Amino acid sequence: MSAALRVRLGRIGMPGITAIGVKELRGRMRGRRAFVSVTIYVLIVAGFAWMVGQILENSVRQNFGFSPQYQSASIGRGIFIALMLLQTLMISVLAPASTAGTISGERERQTLDLLAVTPISSVAIVVGKLLSALSWVFVLILASVPVSALVFVYGGVAPDDMLRGYLLLFVTAIAFGALGTFFSSLVRRSGAATGLTFVAVLVATVGLSFVWVFAKATQDPSVITKPPPEALLYLNPFVAQADVACGAEGGTGGWCQIIAEITGTNAVFGQPVGGDFIPPAQVVPAPMGKIGVGVGIERAVIANDVVVNDVVPAGVAPGAESLRDRYWPRSALTLLLLSLGFTAGAVQLVTPGRRWHPRSTGFFRRIVSRKSS
Amino acid sequence: MTAIVRTVGLVKRYDRTLAVAGVDLEIEEGEIFGLVGPNGAGKTTTLRMLATLLEPTSGSAEVAGFSVGRNPNEVRRVLGFMPDVFGVYDDMRVWEYLDFFARCYGLPASTRRRIIADLLELVDLGDKRDTYVQGLSRGMQQRLCLAHALVHDPKVLLLDEPASGLDPRARVELRELLRELRTLGKTILISSHILPELEELCTSVAIVDHGRVLASGRIADIERRLRVGAVLRARILAEGDGLEAARAWFDVQPEVASAAILTDGTIEVGFRGDEVQTAGLLRDAVAAGLSVASFSRAASDLEELFLQVTGRDATGADPQEVPA
Repeated sequence: MSAALRVRLGRIGMPGITAIGVKELRGRMRGRRAFVSVTIYVLIVAGFAWMVGQILENSVRQNFGFSPQYQSASIGRGIFIALMLLQTLMISVLAPASTAGTISGERERQTLDLLAVTPISSVAIVVGKLLSALSWVFVLILASVPVSALVFVYGGVAPDDMLRGYLLLFVTAIAFGALGTFFSSLVRRSGAATGLTFVAVLVATVGLSFVWVFAKATQDPSVITKPPPEALLYLNPFVAQADVACGAEGGTGGWCQIIAEITGTNAVFGQPVGGDFIPPAQVVPAPMGKIGVGVGIERAVIANDVVVNDVVPAGVAPGAESLRDRYWPRSALTLLLLSLGFTAGAVQLVTPGRRWHPRSTGFFRRIVSRKSS
Repeated sequence: MTAIVRTVGLVKRYDRTLAVAGVDLEIEEGEIFGLVGPNGAGKTTTLRMLATLLEPTSGSAEVAGFSVGRNPNEVRRVLGFMPDVFGVYDDMRVWEYLDFFARCYGLPASTRRRIIADLLELVDLGDKRDTYVQGLSRGMQQRLCLAHALVHDPKVLLLDEPASGLDPRARVELRELLRELRTLGKTILISSHILPELEELCTSVAIVDHGRVLASGRIADIERRLRVGAVLRARILAEGDGLEAARAWFDVQPEVASAAILTDGTIEVGFRGDEVQTAGLLRDAVAAGLSVASFSRAASDLEELFLQVTGRDATGADPQEVPA
């Protein structure tokens, strides 16, 4: 590392982040609060997993007349997907809630000035606060790992699918946490910041997705068109989890159909349909139906007999590997970029004196000072 | 001596209002400098600009040779700031509070431990080390906040209304503490609208109103420059006509504005002269055959000075126009 870079990093303020982090964690993790919240979170996740497991086993018994053990893999997958969606929901609420009060809370308590006159940079203040608020959420996510790992008892889910799911949970926490920090530094009152953050989270998830659904539904079915831009859904971590679910399904189930609709690719082989695009919902069912049912049963047997965790045995669904990771990495990247942007915005809003103007430039400064005077 | 805090033409404008309208200050090392003015005079804004929390609209400010605008980080390292309203963190013990700020200044762990012990001793909170901050009394919180501003051993301390909201006892303690800090070589800039508080403490003051410095310097100098009247009290051993004659004698002396007999029989003389002339007046009185039992110069208080400088009368009416 060059000396200049080290100086720069020093200015951005590792020591400052540590100072803020130690202080915040002392407050957050003190007493029984952290212990109680982790316990409640794990109990909810575990209870939910058990209930979903019961539901799936019963439905297998009733619908197929099988003993549930023959459908063990698909039950495992069902539980896994349900757990990821539930946790995405909980994280989407908890992460903004834990960060939306960070900066505005300092303002309300009138402690921000005390911080601002110390040499710690605004970057250290914002990042330190964001990380320590998120660390609590991270602890919750990590605490749920043992519960989620019980899914492996059923089979049907590969460890790297689990890894993808958890990666997305962390990304979700970071993105919505950064959103909360941004509104917290924008608005003076913590209550207002929390409200705005939840509105923003709703817009990012439900709102934009609804726009996509609307655009899709109002397409003229007689004309061959591409689906609406999938970027509208990038901010919705539920859709990204659906893609992870598709990966776990091995490209043959209902989740994959959703992703196929979104990406406009063939549900089975992952090939872009291209110019002569035909909506997959109309084309795919025929081959899907056959392959889907056939493979489903076949693999369930395989799963029990031979390789419990290998979801996509080579040769069963050729080309299925290419169906993995079609969508979620782009969504995750967008969410991370978004969190970077909002963090930078929060830093600007926290910086005393020199808001919106970098230290050197004349042009920018002139515009801003003219406006403010 | 060189000025450790210097502002030149410091201006801060908020949209329409001119909060600070060109403040020039020179504060020498080791001074306790009082910034006096009514509420809304621009004291807090001036201090916040010095503390790098606000960017001046124009003008410049320097602390220990560092420009507040160009080298805010260097300024922050030589500066301790205690805002007028400040909060404390919940869920923090007294030592953790100081430890946090010491970390913010990048002090290593061993130094932090020593400094925290020293500071708690200094502000007399040694036995509160493990108390939660929100459990401290207002006066203790004030002292803790002062301690936090001292963790990095700053050269300059900015204290914005440090005594507001304190009971008289806590005020006395605070004053003692500031004296002690002065002996440690700190330069202290302290703002207040409560005048007697500053009078006993400050070596120099600046009287501020409407964002301008109306007068500044040592209190005695300002007094002399403005030729502010002093009040003399003379007790003359005479009664009836004798007393009236004495009053009449005082009345016609040079620099005497007025002379009146109070109900307790002392003569109160409004006097415009300085101390030398006061001595001369006493000499003349004795030479004129008056039996002077006591003769004293009532200390002209800052309050009087202040009212005179700001041009406000006791009713608080404001004869000046707000500058545009």
